[in-house]
Amino acid sequence: MIFKNIEDAKQRLESNGYICSKTVSTVAFLAGETQKPILVEGPAGVGKTELSKAIARSLGRELIRLQCYEGLDEARALYEWEYAKQLLYTQMVKDKIDDVIAGANNLSEAVDKIADQEDAFFSERFIQPRPLLQAISSEEPVVLLIDEVDKSDPEFEAFLLEILSDFQVTIPEIGTKKAVKIPYVILTSNNYRDMSDALKRRCIHLYIDYPDTDLELKIVKSKIPGIDARLAQQVINSIHEIRKLDLKKKPCTSETLDWVQSLISLQVNELSSEIIIDTLNMICKYRSDADLVRQNINEISQNSGLR
Amino acid sequence: MINVILKFVACSRAAGLRVSSAEVLDCCQQIEHIDIVDESVFRDVLRANFAKSRREQAKFDHLYHLFFHELRSDTSIPHSDALASVMNQLLNDVQENLAGDEAFPAIIDFLSGNPLRYLEEIRKIKTQEIDTSQGINSSFAPLVRRLEIMSQINAISTAIERFMANNRSTISWENRKAMDSHFKDRLENARRMLREDPEEHMDEFAKGTSYEQYMGELGEKSFFSLTRKEIEEMREVIEQLVRKLKDTVQRRYAKQNRGILDIKKTLRTASKYQGIPMELVFKNKPKRKGKIVTLCDVSGSVWSAAKFMLNMLYSLQDCFLQVRSFVFVSEMAEVTGTFEKYEINKAIDKALKEADINYEASTDYGRTFRQFKKEYMEILNKKTTLIIIGDGRTNYTNPEEEILSEIRDKCRRVVWLNPESGIFWYTGDSRMKTYEKYCNQVRHCQNLNQLLDFIKTLVL
Repeated sequence: MIFKNIEDAKQRLESNGYICSKTVSTVAFLAGETQKPILVEGPAGVGKTELSKAIARSLGRELIRLQCYEGLDEARALYEWEYAKQLLYTQMVKDKIDDVIAGANNLSEAVDKIADQEDAFFSERFIQPRPLLQAISSEEPVVLLIDEVDKSDPEFEAFLLEILSDFQVTIPEIGTKKAVKIPYVILTSNNYRDMSDALKRRCIHLYIDYPDTDLELKIVKSKIPGIDARLAQQVINSIHEIRKLDLKKKPCTSETLDWVQSLISLQVNELSSEIIIDTLNMICKYRSDADLVRQNINEISQNSGLR
Repeated sequence: MINVILKFVACSRAAGLRVSSAEVLDCCQQIEHIDIVDESVFRDVLRANFAKSRREQAKFDHLYHLFFHELRSDTSIPHSDALASVMNQLLNDVQENLAGDEAFPAIIDFLSGNPLRYLEEIRKIKTQEIDTSQGINSSFAPLVRRLEIMSQINAISTAIERFMANNRSTISWENRKAMDSHFKDRLENARRMLREDPEEHMDEFAKGTSYEQYMGELGEKSFFSLTRKEIEEMREVIEQLVRKLKDTVQRRYAKQNRGILDIKKTLRTASKYQGIPMELVFKNKPKRKGKIVTLCDVSGSVWSAAKFMLNMLYSLQDCFLQVRSFVFVSEMAEVTGTFEKYEINKAIDKALKEADINYEASTDYGRTFRQFKKEYMEILNKKTTLIIIGDGRTNYTNPEEEILSEIRDKCRRVVWLNPESGIFWYTGDSRMKTYEKYCNQVRHCQNLNQLLDFIKTLVL
């Protein structure tokens, strides 16, 4: 039992600073119940990564994060043999090796004797666990976040399938390792490319969109408690108007928060079109976007009820 | 409950959503954990399992509404056996007395609460609509089909009324009233589904019906017959393809990079392991990139092909050492600078409209070649691929094929892309036959797939 019910999930996420819609809490609850991974999609900055952090906090579990990038391979994601350590150990136990093969009459016997000891060198002692192996072999249940899985290569995606469906990994020298405690797995994707059907089939899908006005207002109020209610409302209204424009990159929730933060440090009590223009750098990250907002500033301020 | 879900899944599949049985199992398992009285939660669970991309979500919402709201009128009817049997009798009667094409049984099914086949029919019309935006005549076909189905619905409606009138005595008053409203609702639903503005379904997300298939069809479409909307979509497709292509190129290099052993680096890493070379380091082969020079005919007859070609080339710029482009009609101008200054799509528009040439003139290949020889011959070397996009229609001026032969001798290869279909190549003022001899390759390039094939051979 991870969350008691949907309401419980929502409340616990909220108390850990993540305010979400019912859809999100439903999926979070079900993923815990059925031990299925969640595939979270959505535009950048709507809180995909934040969701997994909040889940980890509310479950009181450790968060293990694997950041994906092009060229990420098993050695970085799963495990690696520690050659240096193996070598060092070999050097140190050299005398012992002499003892082991002391009674051997010929070379092949000596090799056999060493072969009997082989396990000593390919044991877990010399494995350096990377995030995936850590998550699986952890004694305490953890939350595993595989971030921006769409940036990884298709080969790596295929490699993930074994972990996602059976919660096990195969290390050739040692064998198959099953999860001690099944981790709570979250994958995030920015839709840089479409994920394969095989991966999608194994996951519960969750699409997080830009929050609606009420939800975003709630988020702002909880993250920045001291904010004046009227200013918050004005900010949210204008952000929503700006999102309606055809921008290269629409301002996301985290940018709204940054913007509010900067308005507070500028000691702004009331938003106006001039102030929007002056602080545009906080919300528009392309020059063409900023120009577009400037051109439409009258409309924006009118629609969002600014003076 | 399971039955309802299975029915819904069958409908989703009929409407083109891909749902695997594993997903159905997952969904059923998850349903047990929730309170299904709360509808929003129920919908969320179904959606999380059946619509696994943003594209499919709009489609799913539509289907969900249709299945669980619009077709639910049956629950309000008292389910007495007597009524059910009368209803079956009615439907049988209608079926016997009326005939129609394949849509007919689908409508009957729909009336008895099974929308599966009807959905399929509607989907057929929609794919037809997507297929046939080419030409004027054919775009009527889906409309005609709609009308056909509509008239069948009307026929059934009258048949039902007749049946009711004939059997006034045998059916009780309450049943008659219930049946009447029931069928009216259903028929109205069927009509509305048919009438619905197709635009809504072809929007950005909902075309997910069979996205790959749709894109495949777009790829086969001639550049000339693209609508404005399709051109926008093409851009998206091109972006995706380019990304894929770049990935492939990189992977190929990643494998090929393994050259000879890099002794210095190997020794350096070996010092970490007491001088034992545990890791071998190889020298990376430098990437071999070609130079591209494009010569685009931008007269009215060819520019649409040139546009896509340029779009792709410049998106793939990092795969080449250098890309220089020229546009011409009767004289030529270099537009490389435009592409450096502006964002791709804008640059293409500019190049096709605002370069320093007369766009109204008639095409003159000979003159263009002469000018190229005079001004730009030195940019060609043995690493250069020259791509000429044009229909080879010289308007009966001197083709100057000797210059082309000179050009070929100076560069690695000359590729001619002709957006006209092959049968016209040797007719009228087309000098393709003359030019063909001097090109290393002549390609027919009329649609996206052909263009893509070419680009692939170019970068891989």
